[in-house]
Amino acid sequence: MKAFAMSVEIPSFPVPPASTSQTAGAESGYERWQTTDADPQTTRPARRSLAMLAVRAGAFAIFLGVFLIFAVTAPYFLTIGNIGNVLGQSAITGVLAIGLTLVIIAGGSNVVTGGIDLSLAANMGLSAAVYAAIIQAGYGDAVAVAGALATGLAIGAVNAAAVTLAGIVPLLVTLAVMNVVAGLELVLTQNTVIPAATDFLAALSASGPLGLPVLAYILVGFTLSVAVIVQATPLGLRLYAVGAFPEAARAAGLPVKTFIGGSFLASGLSGGIAGILSVSYLSGSTTGAGDMLLPVVVTALLGSVFSNRLIPTVTGTLLSALFVGVLINGFQLLNIPSTLVSGVQGLLILLVVSATTLLGRKEAA
Amino acid sequence: MTTDTFTGVNRRNLLKLTAAAGVVAGAADLLAARGAVAEEALSLKGKRIGISTAGTDHFFDLNAYNAQIEEVKRLGGEPIAVDAGRNDGKLVSQLQTLIAQKPDAIVQLLGTLTVIDPWLKKARDAGIPVFTIDVGSANSINNATSDNWGIGKDLALQLVSDIGGEGNIVVFNGFYGVTPCAIRYDQLVNVTKYFPKVKIVQPELRDVIPNTVQDAFTQITAILAKYPEKGSIKAIWSAWDIPQLGATQALVAAGRTEIKTYGVDGSPEVLQLVADAASPAAADVAQQPAELGRVAIRNVARYLAGEKLPRETYVPALLANKQNVKEISKKLGIG
Repeated sequence: MKAFAMSVEIPSFPVPPASTSQTAGAESGYERWQTTDADPQTTRPARRSLAMLAVRAGAFAIFLGVFLIFAVTAPYFLTIGNIGNVLGQSAITGVLAIGLTLVIIAGGSNVVTGGIDLSLAANMGLSAAVYAAIIQAGYGDAVAVAGALATGLAIGAVNAAAVTLAGIVPLLVTLAVMNVVAGLELVLTQNTVIPAATDFLAALSASGPLGLPVLAYILVGFTLSVAVIVQATPLGLRLYAVGAFPEAARAAGLPVKTFIGGSFLASGLSGGIAGILSVSYLSGSTTGAGDMLLPVVVTALLGSVFSNRLIPTVTGTLLSALFVGVLINGFQLLNIPSTLVSGVQGLLILLVVSATTLLGRKEAA
Repeated sequence: MTTDTFTGVNRRNLLKLTAAAGVVAGAADLLAARGAVAEEALSLKGKRIGISTAGTDHFFDLNAYNAQIEEVKRLGGEPIAVDAGRNDGKLVSQLQTLIAQKPDAIVQLLGTLTVIDPWLKKARDAGIPVFTIDVGSANSINNATSDNWGIGKDLALQLVSDIGGEGNIVVFNGFYGVTPCAIRYDQLVNVTKYFPKVKIVQPELRDVIPNTVQDAFTQITAILAKYPEKGSIKAIWSAWDIPQLGATQALVAAGRTEIKTYGVDGSPEVLQLVADAASPAAADVAQQPAELGRVAIRNVARYLAGEKLPRETYVPALLANKQNVKEISKKLGIG
């Protein structure tokens, strides 16, 4: 529990703890943490926790406010079917963003030098193309599922090897891998749509119990199982320790590189799973998977504001995916002209992030 | 004069083909007229119409999309318009939400059939009438589309007439898998069959997406190097007008402006070239996107008023050539 507490008390979250301690060395980094943190903790506990509460509650309050406004003003918003639609429509982004969250947790949250996986969207595209191509070649769903997951894992393995063995910055590695993977998808599909229709795919895109889409159940199930592993097991605790204080984690005997490599494998697997969901959602593999990249990165980064301590968490990423999903859905239900939607959406996201960051900075001062 | 005999042949065949086309057009008119609700009686008062488009980044889809919204408003209805920005995932999500909104009808503009068809079916299963523009779906009550047979025939006849019924033509045929392109190409072949001195240069060229313009430029430059003497190629044909744009630029760059280019879609930049007397761009068949949008919405109103609709409603395309391009551009609301 000690390691967990360390990482969460870093006051200004966007500042990279990993990179500062990289230059400072293990022991001094540990010392610096002790002096910066212990002092305010003991002198101003009441003010601190009050401000912290505002920061924590801020994003949740905005989400709740937006939800309530839509519930009152947007027709059909608060129906079971519509909420199910939002969950189902967020499934692919959600699964990818959760994969990315794991990489960010293990690699540290500095956007430039920390953990990032830019190959995720392309991974989903190639995995989906592999799935559809296997179906077109006359094989069954079991082979196609294995093929898609293996594709995702293989991409994760390449990322993991380049980051941990060659020691290249994840941003560059995954950018390069993204291009290679997108190129492979082009070769495989010739930039065309490969249709795929099987009973398994139809079942995935159908409605399940309570009339909710099966994809909604998959998103919730996927989130819960990853959240349990990351947020409630020693393994998850170590993952956070590795990302926040690599030197301290190494000093404590944790295999840092194994954890970082593992996070890329997990994110690769998420890409494979998202590929399967995408094939069912779009009745085949289609072009333009790369368009998913920015929404996925935004969702994962935005996820931090939906966590108690402003750190990347699996449940926070789910909430972030749902927040974006609710915005898109609510705007359509309110019949706001499509030309305005992305602008208003970007503005709201900016509002949430800046409000939380400002509050966080005030609290840190 | 040889040209006289050719014009003679030309006219006779022209007559035959236009007669056949006339019969088809007449039949279409008859179909449309049966049990028709008067234009001015059409109303969408109190109706909510879902309008979904694959994107609005081309001249065609932007105009068809906006015209639909306007037409629904003009008829007193409420449009629920969503633009997927050429993203299939977004397109499906929007259709899903649209179905949950239970509109009185959904009109789908463009989109890959295999991706959208399962969701059009879900809309139909939910009791929402589905209409389409340029999408041949079995789940659609009526599809408003350009008459691609007419487009292909008009363009081919203009080409053959311009080159005096004789000479080599270079053809871009990279999208025979896309139905409208296949129809237009087949019509070119049908017409040239009766002009034995018109030869399609083999192998045919393959136009590509993306980088269509640059690629067409490169391919045509290579062809010109292969056929250096003037008159060895008379015309360049493509099933849409973006390869035509690249081909025209290549001709100007190589100083081979005696060769004429032909295409389809009425993109504003190509119509501008046609309007330029010095440009090799000879003709461009313009679809009427705004009219397609309006026709689709009026069809929705007709259907909701209890009228039975044909499977497809054809909107005539307009051939713009050096003589009439100003007038056509005006009609399309360009420039």
